[in-house]
Amino acid sequence: MFGFTPADYSAIYLSLKVSITATLISLPFGFAVAYLMTYRRFRGRVGVDVAVNLPLTLPPVVIGYLLLLLLGHQGPIGKFVLQPLGIRLIFTWKAAVIATAVVGFPLMVRSMRTAMEGIDERLVHVSRLLGARALDTIMTVIVPLSVRGIIAGSVLMFARGLGEFGATVIVAGNIPGVTQTIPLAIYEYASSPRGDVMALSLCAVSVVISVAVLFFHEWLGRRVVRAE
Amino acid sequence: MKKAAILFLAIVFLFACGVRAAEVDVSAAASLREVVNALTDNFAKKQPGVEFRNNFGGSGALAKQIENGAPADLFFSANVEWMDYLKGKKLIDDKSVFIFAYNVLVFAGKADVLAARLQDIVRLDRIAVGSPKSVPCGQYTMEALMNAGLEKQVESKLVMCRDVRECLLYADRGEVDGAFVYKTDIELAGQAVRILFTVPQEYYSRVTYPAGLTVAGAKKAEAVAFLKFLRSAEAKKVLLEHGFAVK
Repeated sequence: MFGFTPADYSAIYLSLKVSITATLISLPFGFAVAYLMTYRRFRGRVGVDVAVNLPLTLPPVVIGYLLLLLLGHQGPIGKFVLQPLGIRLIFTWKAAVIATAVVGFPLMVRSMRTAMEGIDERLVHVSRLLGARALDTIMTVIVPLSVRGIIAGSVLMFARGLGEFGATVIVAGNIPGVTQTIPLAIYEYASSPRGDVMALSLCAVSVVISVAVLFFHEWLGRRVVRAE
Repeated sequence: MKKAAILFLAIVFLFACGVRAAEVDVSAAASLREVVNALTDNFAKKQPGVEFRNNFGGSGALAKQIENGAPADLFFSANVEWMDYLKGKKLIDDKSVFIFAYNVLVFAGKADVLAARLQDIVRLDRIAVGSPKSVPCGQYTMEALMNAGLEKQVESKLVMCRDVRECLLYADRGEVDGAFVYKTDIELAGQAVRILFTVPQEYYSRVTYPAGLTVAGAKKAEAVAFLKFLRSAEAKKVLLEHGFAVK
């Protein structure tokens, strides 16, 4: 199909793998942050809010660069935590996952928060009054009632992750077959005078995946509504 | 309302003034950054009123920019291929093209990296190269790796960079074990990066820099004059000082 090279196929596979992994890893953290922001009043709440949402407004390149400084060979985490443990992150697909997770995280949290804020607060209080522990309340009241937001946030983050370029190119580099995702492959083809056909073919793949994701999102939304 | 109209006219006027006839747009290979800046500075000193706007990048990317209508009067490529590509598109003034410099491919890294010859790089973990789709340095590198029979062994270790200077940056920061760059690039990096070995010339075609006027540039006297200056003994001296070969 389209005359893709093995490197192009692995770019498509890698994009999906990186984005799915980043989304799954972020799910528990996203839920925890959304829960704290919605139901708890604590010091530094505004600070957390700003920190979580910052990647939404910061240029992804800035995030990538800061991550590189932090996790790279000379960075504080890279030098004193990762290297002694023998972990190499920069220029591996794991770095792409981290970059994608950071960039997409606010989207996930926002969706979840909106859903949680829509839950009738009395339901939460009643469950506590009836003797449910905090964890029981979360699992039996909050999660079921905010499941649409959780799914919507995850899908949104996944879709955003597929397009992640700025932060990824800095921390994961551009290694065909190893860290080269669809946007990076397109970028490489786009700057090559003879790459237009291939760039467009990969664009077509991107469009197909994005449309599929949106349909899935829509379909899930409807299904959940019916279930309710 | 009237004030706004005056302000609008003033802004239009300012923009109109900004465009002057003696501006020359240069698109040059990333490896030429310092030497072309030095050459254009020299030339501008002698011919006041000429202003150069230098744009550096991977030669293939520059060729594509020019193909898509980016303003360029002069094009300096790091290989013949991308110059010929633009010639084929009738965007370069054929008669103006000549080769003005040569370079050498080296492997650079920190002093503690164990690589003394080309065959040693299979033991390394991450290697920066220019993207062979558009960066000449990467094209020469892939040619050398293929001729040395190492291509398959290092395939998954190659970090593709958008131009040769990005390769160097990665090596300088220590994020890769080494980078294939030109000899002339090394003088710029920090103390930590040095030439670990020179790639044997028999493995790759000689690094050749053609210069040429674009069709638009051929009509600009200043651009034509600068290309002529590039052939002078003075320009050759500057090229030699920056480590390039001129024949």
